[in-house]
Amino acid sequence: MNALTVLNPQDQFKAPTPDELFNLPPIIPGVDWFTKPVLLALLSAVIVIGFFWAAFASPKIVPRGVQNAAEVGYMFVRDQVARPFLGKDADRWMGLLLSLFFLVFAWNIMGVIPFAQFPVASHIAFPAVLAISIYVLKVYLGVRHQGPIGYFKNMMFPPGLPKPIYILLSPIEFLSNLIIAPFTHAVRLFANMFAGHMLLAFFSMVGFWFLFEHLTPLGAPIGVIGVVMTIIFTAFEMFIQFLQAFLFAMLASMYIGGSLHAEH
Amino acid sequence: MSVLAEVSGNVTAIGYGLAAIGPGIGVGIIFGQGVQAIARQPEAYGLIRQNMLLGFVLTEALALLGLVAPFIFQAI
Amino acid sequence: MSEQERRPEDDGQDFASAAWSIPSYLLAGMAIYGGGGWLLDRWLDTSAFFPIGIVLGIVLSVYLVYRKYGR
Repeated sequence: MNALTVLNPQDQFKAPTPDELFNLPPIIPGVDWFTKPVLLALLSAVIVIGFFWAAFASPKIVPRGVQNAAEVGYMFVRDQVARPFLGKDADRWMGLLLSLFFLVFAWNIMGVIPFAQFPVASHIAFPAVLAISIYVLKVYLGVRHQGPIGYFKNMMFPPGLPKPIYILLSPIEFLSNLIIAPFTHAVRLFANMFAGHMLLAFFSMVGFWFLFEHLTPLGAPIGVIGVVMTIIFTAFEMFIQFLQAFLFAMLASMYIGGSLHAEH
Repeated sequence: MSVLAEVSGNVTAIGYGLAAIGPGIGVGIIFGQGVQAIARQPEAYGLIRQNMLLGFVLTEALALLGLVAPFIFQAI
Repeated sequence: MSEQERRPEDDGQDFASAAWSIPSYLLAGMAIYGGGGWLLDRWLDTSAFFPIGIVLGIVLSVYLVYRKYGR
């Protein structure tokens, strides 16, 4: 805090810091683990389960209402996520991929729903758990379908290279497939949601500060810009949230497909 | 004179932000033009794909060099 | 497999997995050889091996990607 803020604390706009945006207090005092993201994560899981329960509990041949919407989602995941990477195995893995896509999508869309307004995936613990489970599944499937030696041989020694260069390139393959890939899998989702939430919070703070808390003739246009940018970025965020959920499920399907069949 | 705005924190973050502009535009151009080329000449798919990936690797390498440049200059 | 027999889905899948794994190859190359250079620097009390390692890692990763997907 510098001298200016102490002298005149009303006059300065303060941008929101990550600490006050993401380090939320527990909802019930004393229960430290039960914070807003945990509540929203559980709520999203219940919503996704309820949605598909309502849609597919007693399916009709001619779909109506909720079943129609759920079938559009199912077709999208099957045609865009599962089939390109899994081919004829796609139907076996649809359960996993469909729940993964819709869970991540529900987590993300919480960021723009009024009163919830917190993308769950902007706490890295949540995408990290999903990415680690996909990673364990990937290694398990690879060892099971290609054998313990064959899996690592296919991964670390791609065919078609001169022999001595393997000494230099195998460590790169190993690190890239087994450590960097799951890391970027989680971080991509986390970073997008984190940055998106910061951006929305910043622009809405600008609008609120310059139009309501501290209305001046010079500041009012900046406040209007803040409100307009909030609206534009909310629409943009909804697109990004959908895209990130799709990419998360797509990469999961890609890793599973890569473990089921050896490359080339 | 009063302070109108201030930036606090690590300046290398600004450096990486600036360094990411060029590769960002480059990757956009590579994939945009690549998709256009495939749409125009689907039979040249193999050749276009190969050059697209090569260009992407070289551009991406620049972005990642920007990421580690602060550490390199610290070491020297 | 000749060019004519290839199904477009296979090509798309190949291309997507290549494009997604390229950044992790580059990061892995930099991490391995840059990290090795950094350790050498600490051990020998020099400051040259870390940049050399980073550049070597990038060159090797680009070469690996070129040989793996570039043909």
